[in-house]
Amino acid sequence: MPEIKTQEFSSASAAAISDPKLRRALDRVASGFEVARLARVADATPEVWDTWRQEARDIKAHTIEHLDYYLDLLYTNIIAAGGHLHFAKDADQANEIVAHIARTRNVKIATKSKSMVSEELGLNPVLEAMGVEVWETDLGEYIIQLAEETPSHLVAPALHKSKEDVAELFTEKLGIPYDEDIYHMAATAREVLRDKFMEADLGISGANFVVAETGTLVIITNEGNGRLCTSAPRIHIGITGMEKVIPSMQDLSIFLRILPQSATGQRITSYVSMTTGPRRSDDEDGPEEFHLILVDNGRSKMLADPTLREALYCIRCGACLNICPIYARIGGHAYGWVYPGPIGAVVSSMLVGLKQASELPQASSLCGACREVCPININIPRMLLNLRKKTAESPDPDVRSAPASERLFARAYARLMSSPGLLRMAARLGRILQKAEHLMPFFSPLTKDGKWIRSAPLPPLSKWNKARDLPTLPKQTFHELWEKGLSRDDS
Amino acid sequence: MTTPESSELLGTPKAEFLRSVRQALGRGDVPPAEPYPRLTDTVLEMEEQSSQIRKRLEENLPALLDKLAEMAALGGWNVHRASGVEEAIGYIESVARDSEATNVVRSAQDVFDSVPVDAALANMGLKVTTVERDETNTREALREEIRQSGIGITGADYALAETGSLVVLPRQGLSRLVSLVPPVHIALVRPEDILESLDDLFLLRRLEYHQRGGEMGSYLNFITGPSRTADIEMTIVEGVHGPKEVHMVILG
Repeated sequence: MPEIKTQEFSSASAAAISDPKLRRALDRVASGFEVARLARVADATPEVWDTWRQEARDIKAHTIEHLDYYLDLLYTNIIAAGGHLHFAKDADQANEIVAHIARTRNVKIATKSKSMVSEELGLNPVLEAMGVEVWETDLGEYIIQLAEETPSHLVAPALHKSKEDVAELFTEKLGIPYDEDIYHMAATAREVLRDKFMEADLGISGANFVVAETGTLVIITNEGNGRLCTSAPRIHIGITGMEKVIPSMQDLSIFLRILPQSATGQRITSYVSMTTGPRRSDDEDGPEEFHLILVDNGRSKMLADPTLREALYCIRCGACLNICPIYARIGGHAYGWVYPGPIGAVVSSMLVGLKQASELPQASSLCGACREVCPININIPRMLLNLRKKTAESPDPDVRSAPASERLFARAYARLMSSPGLLRMAARLGRILQKAEHLMPFFSPLTKDGKWIRSAPLPPLSKWNKARDLPTLPKQTFHELWEKGLSRDDS
Repeated sequence: MTTPESSELLGTPKAEFLRSVRQALGRGDVPPAEPYPRLTDTVLEMEEQSSQIRKRLEENLPALLDKLAEMAALGGWNVHRASGVEEAIGYIESVARDSEATNVVRSAQDVFDSVPVDAALANMGLKVTTVERDETNTREALREEIRQSGIGITGADYALAETGSLVVLPRQGLSRLVSLVPPVHIALVRPEDILESLDDLFLLRRLEYHQRGGEMGSYLNFITGPSRTADIEMTIVEGVHGPKEVHMVILG
């Protein structure tokens, strides 16, 4: 697995927020993908869009509830088509399977189309250590491979790089003259990679969906590199998470509508490529061997927890990243692991473990926009709350995110809010203190206009208050107004 | 075909993996309580649905051709509707003239029997190669020929009005590299190739899969417009790894 930096979330976010170049890049994403997505929802009409979401969600929910059944069916049909299906319980096992295939088939060059799961596994260093040349062929992935970085977005992995960054990188790594024309840079990548596609022994792809009924792997791409990786080399290995299986070929029509439209706002991508087994004897081309590797690598932890199970419905469209006010300010790398954004805060927390990712569930304002745009209607805010609960209540002091004072405060707050008598008393006391504040001008937590408390005097409220303002107490509470007959004039 | 026995066992054995999935789900080995409707319909039922689709397509053909042309153009195709064979060939000649191609490769499909492009292109001085394997045209030789070609011409198995997509399936004489490797791709679409929606396509494919005793064919590709990327600063660039320029010639 790649290096885990989730424990540095706070400092990494602070650094990201003060990076103006990153902010400009993130603005482009928000205005690009999300605006296009909204146009597609309008084309379909919001009513039809909602029925699509519901249908997609129903299919995913059904499949995940019977995952063992569909994995078994998939196995049968991949074998029947002449392919191989391998199950990997963790990253090491998945990498070892690829390494074994590469070793026994004398693989020298591998080309890869985009696969987030292979990022999760940290596959490339394993193959490189064996002496296999590994070429990322998606333009964004190629850029970050050259830069020795990790993706910062599920769909646009190199969005954090400006064209000047890429031009400098190409000059440094490819030894070509500096040229920041985006069209020229794309042409350079085409030239460099074209030979590799034709020379490669092994093509590695991810999978957006895998159809149990027919044993078919489906990838959705725009550049054409996915098609080349799956048709030019003599061996094709698909790698994906075990949750990507869907029951029937006919389920694809709904997913081919909602995935591209949610991801980039395209009606459909340039290419949808489906592979079922290796090439048949009378096919003109295609791989001689087809392998699919399905990985667990911590997914069964999500499966086992009914409050987090729906995280496995995710189709990795990235719509929740594009709308998220937190992602828009800190970008993908601050999350510290492979999967960024709202869904990433859930998935990464579970896959790397809360011990190292206890801050990730806090990476949300709980505004709910992620759920609203999710094509599967996944309740991400609720899962983040559940994860916060887990970190707050964990018996393990390394997982527990809150200090003793905060927990004490939360308990007192809960007691206060569940007892009307106490709450009334506290409101009265608060009002007295608020009035008394005027008598002590040297000690003033209030704003000038007296509407907000900006610097509460005591911890833990003072700490909470550092980044947020608290409204002052009104002259009368809602309860008092209610008892008097709820007249507006009284306020 | 690989038999289950010869399949290499790598990683976690299936039984063990499925057991851990069941454990996580907190239940035993039980099939879905509610049978999944799409997996229980019979070939007969699918045949019935398929003939309904065919009937609907026939009734709406003119409107569907319009819709295909509209959606294909939105998807990035240069759409040309040809009223006859001569016009179609004329259009292909003009595309060839505007390109810098010296070599053209085409698949060996039925559509070229009614639209004979070879002679016209050869008259322009272009070298035309057909994907037909023989003693000299081995897989490797054809692959190199495709790589040297400036234009690839194919027919269609289906054309989807809903998305403006061309759908190609494996068959003898149709290399999937013809529509992918040359910088220009021309696709010939006949009225009988058209389908209204994704739902139509997947029903027909499922039906054929079951009619052929569980044979899906090694691939099924959708092509919608040129190859493109927006990976640098969200700027759309056409023609990354696949063709930069794509033409859909609709016959009729």
